[in-house]
Amino acid sequence: MSAADAVTVEAGAPARGWVLPLIAAALVAGMLGYLQTAELDSIEARLLATDEILARTVEHVRLVAVSTIAVIAIAVPLGVLLTRRRARLLAPPVLGLANAGQAIPSIGVLVLLAILFDVGFTMAVIALVAYAVLPVLRNTMVGLRQVDRSVIDAGRGMGMSPLQVLMKIELPLAVPVMIAGIRVALILNVGVATLATYTNAGGLGSLIESGIVFNRMPVLMTGSVLTIALALMVDWLAGLAERFLRPRGL
Amino acid sequence: MTDPTASPPPPEVMIRLEGLVKRYPGQSTDAVSKLSMDIRRGEFVVFVGPSGCGKTTTLRMINRLVEPTSGRIWIDGEDVTDVDPDRLRRRIGYVIQQIGLIPHMTIAQNIGLVPKLLGWDKARIRDRVDELLELVGLDPAAFRDRYPKQLSGGQQQRVGVARALAGDPPVMLMDEPFGAIDPITRDRLQEEFLKLQERIRKTIVFVTHDIDEALKLGDRIAIFGEGSRLEQFATPLEILSEPANDYVRSFVGAGTGIRRLGLLRIADIPGGAPEPAGRGAVRLTEDQTVHAALEEMLQAGADEVVVASADGRGERSLTMRDLLLAAARAKGEAR
Amino acid sequence: MSFVEYVDRNFDRIAFLTVQHVQVVLLSVAIAAVIGVGLGIATERTPRLRRVLLGITGTLLTIPSFALFGLLIPLLGLGLAPTVAALTVYAVFPILRNTVTGLQIVDPAVVDASRGMGLGAGQRLWMVRLPLAWPVILNGIRVATIMVVAIAAIGAAVRGPGLGELIFRGLSRIGGANAFNEAMSGVAGVVLVALVLDLVFVLIGRLTTPRGLHD
Repeated sequence: MSAADAVTVEAGAPARGWVLPLIAAALVAGMLGYLQTAELDSIEARLLATDEILARTVEHVRLVAVSTIAVIAIAVPLGVLLTRRRARLLAPPVLGLANAGQAIPSIGVLVLLAILFDVGFTMAVIALVAYAVLPVLRNTMVGLRQVDRSVIDAGRGMGMSPLQVLMKIELPLAVPVMIAGIRVALILNVGVATLATYTNAGGLGSLIESGIVFNRMPVLMTGSVLTIALALMVDWLAGLAERFLRPRGL
Repeated sequence: MTDPTASPPPPEVMIRLEGLVKRYPGQSTDAVSKLSMDIRRGEFVVFVGPSGCGKTTTLRMINRLVEPTSGRIWIDGEDVTDVDPDRLRRRIGYVIQQIGLIPHMTIAQNIGLVPKLLGWDKARIRDRVDELLELVGLDPAAFRDRYPKQLSGGQQQRVGVARALAGDPPVMLMDEPFGAIDPITRDRLQEEFLKLQERIRKTIVFVTHDIDEALKLGDRIAIFGEGSRLEQFATPLEILSEPANDYVRSFVGAGTGIRRLGLLRIADIPGGAPEPAGRGAVRLTEDQTVHAALEEMLQAGADEVVVASADGRGERSLTMRDLLLAAARAKGEAR
Repeated sequence: MSFVEYVDRNFDRIAFLTVQHVQVVLLSVAIAAVIGVGLGIATERTPRLRRVLLGITGTLLTIPSFALFGLLIPLLGLGLAPTVAALTVYAVFPILRNTVTGLQIVDPAVVDASRGMGLGAGQRLWMVRLPLAWPVILNGIRVATIMVVAIAAIGAAVRGPGLGELIFRGLSRIGGANAFNEAMSGVAGVVLVALVLDLVFVLIGRLTTPRGLHD
């Protein structure tokens, strides 16, 4: 269990209009304005150079994007398989394991993988994926299971093959719940990616870490504020996607 | 809202509604408009009408669950339009269709809640709870410590009635109390409630949309029309025999003559021979209805009925013709 | 040294950090419960304000914890204060949301009957509505607690107390002999705390759910 559970419900809440991107833009603008006028010492100037900030941001976005795509590629097919009739007995233990696994702190997953294998981008992506697979897997299964039996029977009765029923009926009807899970995974990934700095995978978290280590508040604040702005934007975009990808009629 | 020149109603009036109006904000018509009526002490009055006619709103204005927009409410000689509503409600029993027993409280705690709010001591509350459970036909030892969930719908509504009676309020408001209960249980609860009312003699205002329930229970019936117009406020017999207008006539429906027979007691029928004559006569008692007498006679193929007086000593015999003629003449007589 | 050996030798320290972890979590959740339940009750007559509060606290949940910890350092310094503040921020939403839901799903007939019996607004809240909403509110507190147990591990990045310290120590000694054991004991400790607290909440639920609400 983690922030994901609390967010799952929130993800279904009505979109908050333009408030989130406006806040994000204001945060970024405020930060940039401050950096223009502030007197920075040499460490601060080096860490907060425009190129540096951009590089950290790109690292962060790359971590999130790659791991989210991987999560979808793993969790959606797995969820489909586990809801097939033959895998019925496998589903409860997998879900139970998945739920229990959420008690593991994200920083723990990152650090253990780094100690056991290696540091760097790839390991960080593996950690992010391991952590974010659960909500997507669970929502895929829940979404598929809640599809009305009679609709499936009607499809079969019309002569559709099991694959056609899956593609034409089950998956489209499960999409809203699945997207809610993906949105949670995205939010988790943005968050866990801030910790990837500890295993040498960069990202905006490294600004926060440097700020703490060198005791440089401007660096710390820049890292925190940009991370928050990024999180708000991602949540907002995910909310938009949720609305547009929802099949009409649902 | 308060008119200082108004004088309290006479003592035989328990509830007086004076020009009562309810208009909800943002609506162009009144939910209740300029309603006035007197309800006498110990009277059982039924409000009946289609949904949206304002009968429930009117009921809920009496204990100020709905605050009147204008007008005035008197209860027991007191102007209660502006008194503290919580204190007012503790003096008025309230029973609703959904019952609304508090699920985490035992039956005893549910019934004892109002007495507790009124500051009674524990022993008195306990005695009162047991007395009331007996009164509504539930064994106190078996039901006192149960929770609402463990009771059937009919049992729950008995508790609902007991709870409303707990503080010994002079007035009871009942909003379709038997509406959600299965027909057989409903019939029994209605009968029991009538017997109960003979003993406790509360002033009751009872809302229903079922005209038959109204005819069966009410001393007087208020028939509401569209826009909360009070179409007729009269005894069941008057409503059946002399409907005030076409609206009432159509609301009451067909077969008023036959239904009137169900309201007439044999005791209401004068005359009859002092002793039985014919063979195979049906035997009944004076407190049964004319409807029941005719039913028995048709079943038995008899044209005569022998009626024992309530104390079981005297007897008289009535023919089918006596009953029918009397029923036809009984127009307008109060029950 | 094997993991078991390591835990055995360092038991006192691990136990100490575990207790610290639990304390920080419970302190934060307690503060959040007061805030969440309080706001849930206080905004009953102002549904718009309530929606705004739910929106804000829900959005706060999407903020990465490391960034929130970082943001609080200039205000509160390092250590206990930013940790408790951040954990409290996260714990408010599930508790507030469940308080709102719990109060909303109380059977309106029960509330109407209570009003009709002459219970004032305060009496209805304390005698009727809160007891009926309690199982839902408690579940919100449980979700908040389990969530915060995991986030608290990150608090060590800002010198906060608790089991996160072991994870970060293991990280700083990558390649060293006990790096895995240190990090693993921290992770295992966090998972154990989460499981135990979850059980404790099940137990509290059993004990405090009014009897008439059990099936």
